[in-house]
Amino acid sequence: MLKMTHLAKAFRTEVVETYALRDFSIHVRTGEFVAVTGPSGSGKTTFLNIAGLLETPTGGSYELDGEDVSRLGDDARSRIRNGKIGFIFQAFNLIPDLNIYDNVDVPLRYRKMSGAERKKRIGEALERVGLSARLRHYPAELSGGQQQRVAIARALAGSPKLLLADEPTGNLDSQMARAVMQLLEEIHRDGATIVMVTHDPELAARAQRNVHVIDGQVVDLGEAPTLRMNVAANA
Amino acid sequence: MLRYYAWLAARSLKRNPALTALMVLAIGLGIGASITTLTVLHILSGDPIPEKSARLFYPQIDPRTINDYHPGEAPAEQVTYPDGMNLLQAKRADRQALMTGGGAVVLPDDAAIDPFSVDARYTTADFFAMFDAPFQYGSGWKAADDDAHARDVVITRSLNKKVFGGGNSVGKTLRLQSTDFRVVGVLDDWRPTPHFYDLNSARYSDYEEVFLPLSTAMELEFGRNGSMDCWDNTPDGDQLHSPNCSWLQFWVELDTPEKAKAYQAFLNNYSDEQRSQGRFPRPNNVRLPTVMQWLDDQKVVPTDVRLQVWLSFGFLAVCLVNTIGLMLAKFLRRNGEIAVRRAIGAPRREIFAQFLVEAGAVAGAVLGLLLALFGLWGVRQQAADYAELAHIDPTMLLMTLLLALATALLSGLLPAWRACQVTPALQLKSD
Amino acid sequence: MDIAPIIAALKRQKTAAALIAIEIALSCAIICNVLFLITHRLERSHVPSGVVEDELVYIRTAGIGASGGDDPMVRAREDRAALASIPGVKSATIINQIPFGHSSWNTGVKLAADQQQTSANVGAYYADEHMLDSFGVKLIAGRQFTSDEFLNFDDVLKGKSDPPSSMIITKTLARRLFGDENAIGKNIYLDDTKPTRVIGIVEHLIRPNFGSDLIDADSSMILPVRLSLGYGQFVLRTDPGNRDAVIAAARKKLKEVSPNRIVLDAKTLESARSDYFKQDRVMAGLLVAVVISLLIVTALGIVGLASFWVQRRRRQIGIRRALGATRRQILHYFQTENFLIVTVGIVIGMGAAYAISGWLMHQYELPRLPLYYLPVGAVALWLLGQLSVLAPALRAASVPPATATRTV
Repeated sequence: MLKMTHLAKAFRTEVVETYALRDFSIHVRTGEFVAVTGPSGSGKTTFLNIAGLLETPTGGSYELDGEDVSRLGDDARSRIRNGKIGFIFQAFNLIPDLNIYDNVDVPLRYRKMSGAERKKRIGEALERVGLSARLRHYPAELSGGQQQRVAIARALAGSPKLLLADEPTGNLDSQMARAVMQLLEEIHRDGATIVMVTHDPELAARAQRNVHVIDGQVVDLGEAPTLRMNVAANA
Repeated sequence: MLRYYAWLAARSLKRNPALTALMVLAIGLGIGASITTLTVLHILSGDPIPEKSARLFYPQIDPRTINDYHPGEAPAEQVTYPDGMNLLQAKRADRQALMTGGGAVVLPDDAAIDPFSVDARYTTADFFAMFDAPFQYGSGWKAADDDAHARDVVITRSLNKKVFGGGNSVGKTLRLQSTDFRVVGVLDDWRPTPHFYDLNSARYSDYEEVFLPLSTAMELEFGRNGSMDCWDNTPDGDQLHSPNCSWLQFWVELDTPEKAKAYQAFLNNYSDEQRSQGRFPRPNNVRLPTVMQWLDDQKVVPTDVRLQVWLSFGFLAVCLVNTIGLMLAKFLRRNGEIAVRRAIGAPRREIFAQFLVEAGAVAGAVLGLLLALFGLWGVRQQAADYAELAHIDPTMLLMTLLLALATALLSGLLPAWRACQVTPALQLKSD
Repeated sequence: MDIAPIIAALKRQKTAAALIAIEIALSCAIICNVLFLITHRLERSHVPSGVVEDELVYIRTAGIGASGGDDPMVRAREDRAALASIPGVKSATIINQIPFGHSSWNTGVKLAADQQQTSANVGAYYADEHMLDSFGVKLIAGRQFTSDEFLNFDDVLKGKSDPPSSMIITKTLARRLFGDENAIGKNIYLDDTKPTRVIGIVEHLIRPNFGSDLIDADSSMILPVRLSLGYGQFVLRTDPGNRDAVIAAARKKLKEVSPNRIVLDAKTLESARSDYFKQDRVMAGLLVAVVISLLIVTALGIVGLASFWVQRRRRQIGIRRALGATRRQILHYFQTENFLIVTVGIVIGMGAAYAISGWLMHQYELPRLPLYYLPVGAVALWLLGQLSVLAPALRAASVPPATATRTV
């Protein structure tokens, strides 16, 4: 699904050139749930930005869903973001001026989709996260956990092949964080590929596989079956 | 998609009513002012007789003395009586008419109506056909009537209504000063704007109500209006017949460019001929402007009106810059929304379109139109003697619409472009 | 206050700052010129006429029939006498033209008989012996006409008489023709035959028809020529409060003594002045409206953008406050920022104002914009900027320091 080979990302200023990622290789298979961990400044966010086609790498190659996407133009990248990728943000990033229904509608609007089709998908997505009753509410009227569930519904509505989550529970208290995490696990069980960036080792442990990033390079820690079983027992 | 953007725009505009009102008002005010002044200019600089203005010419010759002569200056603005009659009788044009403005007192038969004075035009037979003056009843007089000093008069529809109560008054008697005139024709509504054939009287108001033969008016010593330029003493004090006083307007109709060329040559020959008889001491100075050239030459559009147009467009420019600034602020306040939309997969052009639609929200256009109407109403309340002419016509309506749209889009261009440059991001940053 | 950090911050908002500067520049350029246009108009409409405007009424008449045996010269004298006898009328005259009137008589004058070019184009009043009293023009040097100096207009017209032997001219015309020399006793040529001697000078007497050149407007002469009825109109002098009654009485009187004439106009001279400058007043009003609208639009634009900046920098302001900045310092920050932007706008605007003025001079024959308008416009816009930014800056100053610790 996602394959980065010898990827590099350099930031140039007038004085120095710093590498956020250097010789970065990772392979995420379809249906995997991968947690990317690492200390602050290690290059996690840069990795996620490139994975989500928000930024372009300065070297190496990036294959998404069998297609080389490292050299695409802005329009093509927008199209792929819209069609194949769902984002879940730490700060939820709902549009405050739009109600729940219209927020979930946003990605669908950028596809040529009939009104009936959009309505069906929005309904399903909100059903999935258990917020069907709150269609007309505005983000500010919801709790943090509910907001994040709306954001997940928005990510799901477009039936993306890859879900990218950036500290999805970072702004939530532990109880809400657990609920959101369970939702992600359910989505994963239903067949989605998920890449989640987090600095929380407990959360990371609940993923199938952990990837540790230090100084812009990958240290693959392999699968974490024990912890995963524990989670299953909790659920 | 456009509907989606229109919907988003409407929401966004409603959310900041004060800001929206300010932008709409600023653009509306600027456009209202611009359209109002443009309309006035458009009307004032219009062609008074569009079907044939290119075939009507105002021959100018220069009979003045050598005193105060400056090479290159324009010839005399009017003709003397002797020159006017010579040119008229030469009949070198398809049609020609000699004329002046005047005033006369009407003494109605109806004792209930007090005597009143009217503006008059003393002219010659071709006047009506040459200027396409429309008749409601009857017609003008014949060339023979000019020679016979006929007591014939053509009156306007409004005077006919006032004196005779309307209807076909051909053959009725109208008493002017102390002479009885026979009504030979009643003009339908006719108001060439500006009053091109004689720019001495008010150029956009006060039109004459009676027309009678020049020969008759001169015989009866009717009062004349207009300007008279005398450059030498007049033998026996008779300025009207003097070769040294110009006070008449002379117009010709020449149907082809060849004829116009020939007429120009004729005027030169005439000047030479007069010089050989001891007149026309200056070098030949002949001009043959068309209606529009003459109006232009006489700077018939008040300079104030042009100044107002410039001023209103300057004002519009300020409003435009103002709106660009406000829109920029408004759009960039939504940085976060834009970043999310971009992350979710909106291409740049979609963001651009979304914000341009917001900019172009028709509110400005509608308001501009309203204000234009309001502005015209305001002008009409004012004293300017051309104001009553100001009304909105379809061209101006379309122009208002286009100007409003162009202004709104122009003011949205930069902000929308800046908006679509916002990078897609996972985190909302604030500084 | 140190402006370096403000400039550094402004560099990050180049577009918005530039927009305000451009708006200020445009406003400054337009406002300076418009203010000048307004003063120019008002100056013109307050030009002194030299006559006692609030005491005068004028009457224009038209004959109904042919003169029919009546000698128009005699008729004129008798009608004038009849009008002068109306109670309340102090003096009455018959004259060819009046200030702010519709008809104007103009003559080119020369200083020598054989001069090829005229020295000046002058407004010519043809006056009888009652004119100076009736108009109330102020004779500041020389003498009035004596009765033997008067000619009849018909004789002048028909060339039966020489030009008038004497004339009275305005101070403005005297200076224009003779500079600082004493004009009394000097000769002026109305044609190339005999000279006319200047015998008196009046302070002002405006000609009926004038443009924006006020020297030209006050270039008039009074000639001792009695008019016939066909060319003249009556001017009556009375007490200001008496004018309406006099107008009514005059209409009645003329109907009695001259039944075959109708009155075209019978109005006060004040109304003639008012009509004459109506266009200027409308234009001046319009210009004032433009200035006010410009100021309002510009002020609101500044308020809008400044509010946006404050809102956008709330957190930054909170941090500054947390780090010890006082309210006053925050307030001053925004005020200084506004001052810098407006100053840039004003500098550009002054250049533009001067350029526009040059263009107006060329297009509309207006005088050059006096330089002192520039600082006036600048101060006005500085004030406007400070006034507009006050509310947003106060809002900024009231941001609590705790904002810094709150997440967005």
